Amino acid sequence: MRDPNAIDFWRGFALVTIFINHVPGNAFERYTFSQYGISDAAELFVFLAGWSIGIATSGRDGRPEPPGRSVVRLLARTVEVYRAQLTVMLLALAIIAGSALLLDNPLILEWHNAGGFFADPIQSVCGMALLTYQLGYFNILPLYVVLLGVAPLFVLVGRVSLLAALALSGSVYLASLVFEWNLPSWPGEGDWFFDPLCWQVLLVLGFVLQGWNRRSDALRRWSRRLFPAGLVIVCLGIVLAVTGIRPDPLIVPEPRLLFTFEKTYLTPARLLHFLGVLLAFAPVYAILAPRIGAMVGYLTQLGRNSLAVFSMGSILSLIGQLVRFQTGGGLLIDVLVASSGVVGLGFTAWFVEWRTRSKSSRARA
Amino acid sequence: MDPGSDGMSLSQECRVPGAQLYTVAKLPAVRAAMDENRPLKLLAIGGSAAPGASASYPAKLEAALEHTLPKTDVVIDHRGLPGEIASGAAERLRTMVAEAEPDLVIWQVGTHDAIARVDADAFASALSEAVAWIRSHGIDVVLVDPIYTASMAADVDYNRIVDAVRTVAGQQQVPLVRRYEALHYLSSRSDKGEGHMLGRQFRLNDLGLRCMAEHVALTIATSLMRTESGTNPKADPGAPPLTVPQRAPG
Repeated sequence: MRDPNAIDFWRGFALVTIFINHVPGNAFERYTFSQYGISDAAELFVFLAGWSIGIATSGRDGRPEPPGRSVVRLLARTVEVYRAQLTVMLLALAIIAGSALLLDNPLILEWHNAGGFFADPIQSVCGMALLTYQLGYFNILPLYVVLLGVAPLFVLVGRVSLLAALALSGSVYLASLVFEWNLPSWPGEGDWFFDPLCWQVLLVLGFVLQGWNRRSDALRRWSRRLFPAGLVIVCLGIVLAVTGIRPDPLIVPEPRLLFTFEKTYLTPARLLHFLGVLLAFAPVYAILAPRIGAMVGYLTQLGRNSLAVFSMGSILSLIGQLVRFQTGGGLLIDVLVASSGVVGLGFTAWFVEWRTRSKSSRARA
Repeated sequence: MDPGSDGMSLSQECRVPGAQLYTVAKLPAVRAAMDENRPLKLLAIGGSAAPGASASYPAKLEAALEHTLPKTDVVIDHRGLPGEIASGAAERLRTMVAEAEPDLVIWQVGTHDAIARVDADAFASALSEAVAWIRSHGIDVVLVDPIYTASMAADVDYNRIVDAVRTVAGQQQVPLVRRYEALHYLSSRSDKGEGHMLGRQFRLNDLGLRCMAEHVALTIATSLMRTESGTNPKADPGAPPLTVPQRAPG
């Protein structure tokens, strides 16, 4: 088990934020950082996934492991995430259908695009396996499957040159913005909520920065120098978020996606804002860690088990939404939903580590 | 509206008195497209998907519109919009409108916010801003309020959301399909209650969807009769642009 570190800490932080933001309308939503900037926890999550790939594909001495091993490792992880997505989707649909039956309320079936599944089960079940049918709020894992699926390409190019990997990724990103490339949804018209062709740039950026960070301390020097720029960007983000000022997609010049703030395409403004957040908050962990030991322990444990915690978080947030719906909400219910969520996520992480420990001790015995 | 005139009638099973079916308002952009003999580009936005087979609502709507407006070629883009208007979905709508650049947006709205227990005032102000934004770009809007179902009839929050859609439609002067009232009326007319509309698995069944498509088409046709030719859709005093045009930083 890894010791607490900044990566796991921030990943745990992103997981809790995503959980709270996935119970829309709840009283704690306005206290999450997503409300005070133009990028949010999804960016943090994907960037850290890229950074972790960098760590996972290099040995203890910091040198890259054999390329074949990295490819198999990423393939195994892709399968794992794909399996999690299928399980979570099935449970979510069952929870939605079950609540509709139990509460005798047809409206619940319309939740999060689930209506399409119950109307066209034949097409939708294929779409579910193909990841082209997604429920609202259940669209990060499909993105993650595709990103991990293409990660070997960037990791292999990165063995030759990290700069080349970043250039390749950046070109795909820019082309997707200019030509509005995205993967299609099916059944039902439209595209993916998270465009993998755009979002891959953040994963590769995380991977490449981790590589540079390992090789020299130039990155750390520069991030310290750019700290004020990060602060300025964060403040600008707060102003834009609070005032609700954003570009009008029908007024900006072509190519439109270079100028708007759209989450689907991780538009440049969002990317830039995220980099600002990164610069401004990079030093925070070292300051916080000695002061809030228990919190660091909790969040890093979540971060170490991010897939299980994220999956459980999506299920818990759906249940939280149903509870709010049925009871009519209110502060008491929100406190209950949020605290059960926080405990539930913590339990999930603890349980996964307990299971791993007991398996390995049995194997040794 | 006299449901007897040609092409403007509802089928027997879907018949609802006009007062309980719609409020009308002008549709200058649709009128302009028809005057120029262009195909009419519609963006139909469902609750999540449309209630019912995702493939069949747009098809039924297209059929109903081409029946009601026989000389017009109608092209429908259909999108689901999961999420709450009061938090985030309104932004996604702007993206969809910018991508489709339609003449008319037919927007089924309110169900998600009702389910998420969003405050009705927050919902109304977000919806109002979104409608004003669409209209500020010379695009017409028809709002469709949430469905009626007996299980929600006594729910105060749900009714407040239905009322909020009506209020916004009135303030922004856009046509409204009063789906809640219409389904309420139709289910009270039958001994089977809402069952014959919602189906055994309580989803809007084939009939429910067809009626909805007909109701939308009739609302549009009636609104068009109030819209004189030559009105410039851009020059609408009721809808100042609410968003400050702003270039992204960097």
